[in-house]
Amino acid sequence: MEFTLLGAVLFAVVPLYAALYWEARRGNAAACTRDLWDVALTAAVVGLFIGRITAMIGDGVNPLTNPADIIIVRGGVATGPAVLGALATAAWVGRRELWPVLDGLAAAALAGLGGWHAGCMVRNACLGSASDLPWAIAQDGSSITRHPVEIYAALALFLAAGLLMVWRQRGRPAPGVVAGLGLAWAASVRLLTEPLRPTLSGGPVWWYVAGLAVGVLVTGWHGWRSPRQRQPDIDTRSG
Amino acid sequence: MRRSLGTALLVFVLAACGGKTVDISRVPELPEISVDELSGVLAGSAQPVVLNVWASWCVPCRSEAPLLEKAATTTDDVTFIGLNVRDDQTGARSFIAEFFPEAPIDHYRDPGGDIPVGLGGNRGVPLTYFFAPHGELIELHSGVIDERTLALQIDEISSR
Repeated sequence: MEFTLLGAVLFAVVPLYAALYWEARRGNAAACTRDLWDVALTAAVVGLFIGRITAMIGDGVNPLTNPADIIIVRGGVATGPAVLGALATAAWVGRRELWPVLDGLAAAALAGLGGWHAGCMVRNACLGSASDLPWAIAQDGSSITRHPVEIYAALALFLAAGLLMVWRQRGRPAPGVVAGLGLAWAASVRLLTEPLRPTLSGGPVWWYVAGLAVGVLVTGWHGWRSPRQRQPDIDTRSG
Repeated sequence: MRRSLGTALLVFVLAACGGKTVDISRVPELPEISVDELSGVLAGSAQPVVLNVWASWCVPCRSEAPLLEKAATTTDDVTFIGLNVRDDQTGARSFIAEFFPEAPIDHYRDPGGDIPVGLGGNRGVPLTYFFAPHGELIELHSGVIDERTLALQIDEISSR
């Protein structure tokens, strides 16, 4: 059994929940009546399913004739379709109050993604390309020191999550701006760390570029369109 | 009505994505090998070796097979060996025809399934061993292997 993968999932779920809880306590989830925890989990599960199915089809394995393969997540999950599926699910579930829902999820999603990357510690999968930097780490029995690339990604995502949460509380940015920034930041982190990751055929770089572009466009559109429209200061709730 | 049509379309698309016809006539019978013979192959290899233990009845093996096929096809200067365990010839050849039709992987059979234990592993499948040149075991990965781990360990054994 792949218990290390479950451990990594726990690493992701805890900061996701903690960020949603913090946002709710601080009033950041105002104007949003959906239960963001439910939306986040539903989006994550649907995204994972779509990403896994897409990866299976890409590998030439028919999900209908080999349904048991679907649960073997370690066999591969297509990142781009998984993210698209998760975003589409979140947008669909929260369609009546789209931007408050996506804004409410953005920082928590970054924290959860950071936790997933930090979960490399239980999966023994933190290391990337070889490096001589002082903080480079060698795997057991090896003299080759490597970038702890997943830790870089985790730190960058946690930092962004914290900054977005504080900004939402103090700055009250226009609806949609936080969601756009969150997407752009997540894509940027993956894009910048991708060259440090070991890979057989290159990572899904164009998906990251597309995510960055969409995030910047959403941020710019909402920031330009409603510069004086700010999120309302309502009572504290996430659900 | 629209939802039913959408579901039917999805099922049709998914069904059309698989169902490859497997022709095993082009796959030669797999030679049986002993632990001593395989150890000799590893010790005599001037290249690093990735040894994957698989079986046609093993669902996780099917899941990781496309990744190994890609690695074997795209990686130079590394030898890939497949060890089929506790399986029959027909099942093994069908699996190779479906997942490794063109991949440069040397496959052997171990009907008793004892060789992985003799090489320091266990009786579970899949297993992936990473050997430096001349047979030094660098890493043993139990269970399905992911792309990052496979690429990292190939980099490790290639650097020795």
